[in-house]
Parts: sequence; C-alpha cells; structure tokens
Amino acid sequence: MARALELVIGGLSLGGIYALLAFAMSLTISTTRVLNVAHGVFFVWGGATFVILSQRLRLHPVLAIVILTGLFFVLALAFERGIVRTLLGRSHQMLLVGSIMATFGLGLSMESALGYGWVTFVDPYPVFSSPLAMFPIRLGDVALSGSRLVILAFVVVTVMSFHLFLQKTFLGKGARAMAQNFDGFLVIGLNPYRLSMILFTLAIMATAISGAFYVLAVPLNPYEGLPLTLKSFTVVILAGVGNLPATLVAGALLGVAEVATSQFLGTVWAPAVSLAVLFLVLVVKPTGLFGKGVY
Amino acid sequence: MNRRAATLTVVTIGVLAVLPPLLSSTWLLVMFLSFLWLILTANYDVLDGFLGHINLGQGAFFGLGAYVTTMMLNVAAVQALGGLALVVSALVAVVSAALFAAVMAVPLFRLKGLYFAIATLILIFLLQVFALNLGDLTGGSYGLYVPPRFFVSTFVAYYVALAVAIVSVGFNFYLSRSTLGLAFRCLKEDEEGADSIGLHPLRYKTIGLVLASVPSAAGGVLFALNAGFIDPTIALGVERSLLPPLMALLGGTGTVLGPVFGTAIIRIIETVFFHYLRLPVPSMLFFGLTLMAVALLIPAGLMRSPRVRRLSLFRAFSS
Repeated sequence: MARALELVIGGLSLGGIYALLAFAMSLTISTTRVLNVAHGVFFVWGGATFVILSQRLRLHPVLAIVILTGLFFVLALAFERGIVRTLLGRSHQMLLVGSIMATFGLGLSMESALGYGWVTFVDPYPVFSSPLAMFPIRLGDVALSGSRLVILAFVVVTVMSFHLFLQKTFLGKGARAMAQNFDGFLVIGLNPYRLSMILFTLAIMATAISGAFYVLAVPLNPYEGLPLTLKSFTVVILAGVGNLPATLVAGALLGVAEVATSQFLGTVWAPAVSLAVLFLVLVVKPTGLFGKGVY
Repeated sequence: MNRRAATLTVVTIGVLAVLPPLLSSTWLLVMFLSFLWLILTANYDVLDGFLGHINLGQGAFFGLGAYVTTMMLNVAAVQALGGLALVVSALVAVVSAALFAAVMAVPLFRLKGLYFAIATLILIFLLQVFALNLGDLTGGSYGLYVPPRFFVSTFVAYYVALAVAIVSVGFNFYLSRSTLGLAFRCLKEDEEGADSIGLHPLRYKTIGLVLASVPSAAGGVLFALNAGFIDPTIALGVERSLLPPLMALLGGTGTVLGPVFGTAIIRIIETVFFHYLRLPVPSMLFFGLTLMAVALLIPAGLMRSPRVRRLSLFRAFSS
C-alpha cells in the first residue's frame, strides 16, 4: 500500500510536468497552428541553465530562477520574431510543413549545441541534475521525496495561474477567441501577431521553468528534448488539441502509466509506453479521448 | 523530357557507372552512402511531393531492411544455403518492409497533415525500442554482426545502390508522367473530389507507401551487408527519417530532380565540411540550422525558385 502511494506520487509529479509541457504546447498549437517541435528542447535548456546558474555559479536558487526567466524571455521573443512570425501568413499546408521543419531544425541544432557545449565547457559527463538536497517527508511508513512534492506544488500553481489568465484577463479571453474562431477574432479587431508573441513567450518561459524544477527530481541529458516533445505531444493528442483541463488528466495518466511500467516490466520499456499510447490514440481516436475542448 | 535532358541524364549515369575504378576506397564509400541517401530522399518525395503527406518515417523501412537481412543471415538454416542465402535474406527483408508498409498504411492513412507526420515519426522510435529490448533476436544495444563470408564489397554495393537509386528517381519520373501519378496528385489536391470520380484514396495511398518502402528497404539491406555490423543507432538512427525531408525540401518536393539536387548539395557540404575540413562543430547543429533556413526562406525548394529556374540547365528539364 505504502509502495503504491509512493508510485502514485512519483507518477503524478512526472505526469504533472508532462501536463505542464503539454499545456503550453496545446495553447500555442490551438491558437497559432504552429507546432513547436523544439518545445522539449527549451525544457532541457531550462534545466541546463538552472544547473549552470545554481551549481556552477553558486547563485541562490530563487535568483537563478529569476535570471533564467529573463534569459528565456529574450530567447522566446527571438523565437517568435524569427520563426513564428515568418510562418504565420502561409497557407495551411505550407504552415504545417514549415513549422514542423523549421522548429525541428531549431530543436536539432539547439540539442547538439547543448550536448557539445556541455561536454566541452562544463562537464565531460553530459547529465545534469540539481544539487539541492530535498527533505524527505515521512508519513507513517510512507517516504515521500520532497523534491517531487515541490514539483507537484509548482505544477498546481502554474496551472492555476494559466487558468486564471485564460478566464479572467482580456488577453486570455483573446487567446480563447483566437483558438475558437480565428475569423471572428480578426473581425473584432484583435491583433493575432501581438497575441502569438505573448502566448509563445509565456509558453516558452513556463516550459523552461518547468525544466528547472524537473532537474530537482530527475537528472536530464542534453538529448532528451525531442523525445520529451513527443511525450508532451502524446498528452496533447490524448487530451484533444486545445482541451486544457483534459491535458492535466492525460498528463497524470501518462505519468502514472510510465512509472507503473518501469516498476512492473522494467525501465527499458517505459519509453515505449508513451509511443504506443500516442500511436494507438492517433489511430483509434485522433480527436483525443475527451473530444475537442474549448478552454 | 526533351532530347537535351535525355542526353544529360544518360551522360550522368554513364559517368557514375565508369567512376568506381578511378575512385579511392574512401570516395567510393562516400558515393555509395550518398546513393543510399538519394534512395531515401526520392522515396520520401513519393508521399510528400505527389500525395501531399509528410512522412517522417522513411528511415523505419531502411532500418527494417537492415535488421531483417542481418537477423536472417545469423540463422544457421539460412547460412546453409550458401550463395543463395544473400538473395533469400535480401528478398525476405524487402518483402517484410513492403508488408510492414501495407499493414501500417491502414491506420496511418486515417490521419492527415500534422497527425500523419507525428504518427510516422513514432515508427522509427517504436522499432528502436523493439531492437533494443528484444536482445535475443536483435542483439539489443550491442548490435548484430553479418557473418564475414556474406560481406558485400563497396565496389559491388556501389553498382547495386546506383541501380536502386536510378529506379527510385525513375519511379518519381514515371509518377510525373503517368496516370498513376496523376491519380496521386489528384488525391493531393482534393481527396473528396478524387474519391467521387472513383479513385479510392486508401488504395492509392497504400500503393504509394508500399512502392516507396521497397527501395528504402533495399538500401537498408545494402547498408547492412556492406557495413557488416548494425545496431539501433546506426541502422535505426532518427536522422534516417529526418535528413530525407531536409534534402527533398531543399531541392523542391514534387519535382523529379529536386531530391537529386537536394541530396547532392547536402552530401557535398557534409563531405567537405565534416570529413575534409573536419570542422569542430557537431554536424547535427549544422543540419538543424540548414533545415530551419530552408523551411523559412525557400519553402518551395530550389527547383521551384524563379532564380534557379532561369538557368539554362534547368530549363532543359522543366520543359
């Protein structure tokens, strides 16, 4: 029983991170139709930046997060200017091909730049994790990892703020309008370029910060970015594109399924879970388990 | 194809056919590998250029071909066949890739656009997981050796790969002129319209995928027999699926010669920068940036860009 609870907490914190990644991805796909394949790479870069700032430069973790947010704000603006804006005016098919290829290229080059740079300048062993020793919490005979609880708390806070942003603010309502009816969105005079800039900036910053929290519990290596994009895409598809509440459920499901698989079948089969799930959902019900949602 | 283009094609093939005795073994290998890339790129273009589906899984057929041959050649009963063993295992490999394509076509072609691209991308990752974890059959992460007496020398492999590459590009040329190709492009433009005039979408798409999988699998067979060793990163590396779209896009999809020029350009750059000058930059960084630049700046490809079309060499082919 105690073991089961540990597994569920482990699965939920992993799934929570997947859900956050997928949340940001879903938001940008449903509004701008640009699939950012480099999404997972931004996550890994976030983790790497955090480790460099807090471990190598010995900054306080909070200060490290602040600096990281600033860095990725600039990076996200450059990404939106350079890639998204160039693609936005294209026809449907060209936008699709262009966004997959351009962000794939960006992801590949960012990934190998990080892998190469890390091995050359930082550490010949290309795995990074955070040094912050987290307090283990004991509830009866259940041992809970403190860093996993921190991650869960972070996920809850971020999702709540995304929810409030989408429901209460003018820009958030604009984003929902853009996803629901693009023509109507244009007719009432909102600016899609400005909104896409804001959404991509928010999504990339949230992703990078999640990466920083993720390395508290799980070590990352530079080449995990593209597989993570696939995982977060799995969650997006599982939940249905644009269905944000369902994304949380789907992320948690995937996380628990992966943890359970590595527990019962061996860790080697864990990567196969999300691939098999993604393939099955795509083939059986491409609209997602919960149908196309409106925020 | 007018007479000038025909002459140019024949001359090019002739030059490539007499080249091997003049080349050093390194350059022979470089050319052989370039032909393998050309096969994958031309096959990729069948689905992208003519059927309008972005197929990020072309490498899966390559890897499947490589793995099935090597696995067959490690079976004692097949080894007992002697010289026939190569033919049998190559045939089994190609047929199993075609079957894999035919079976996968049913679920895959329920999807379009983005979903199709991602679903095909998963194929190679799934095969990787199986190759890694079914250690008894595939050797897991240690890989699998081809028994030494079944090695194919680079000299022979060069000619076979050249032939397969000519067939692949020739098939794309056939598609650009034939009713089959017309049916494909009809489906690309308007699927419901094509369906209503009696072109069964799934049947034609399955034909396209199966025909595109066969030369790729043959390329994988050649690669395995020539290298003598395969493992999940060599035979099923994700770049086998990702570089063909880059090469095809650079040259221009849906144009017969686009994939040829795209492959040539990328291979020349790769050879010069990474094998000759030995730049200290990882090659994936370079390919990533190239892919990004191509997708953003010349989305239609070189063969369709007006500045290139004005060159007289290209005018011969476009008429």
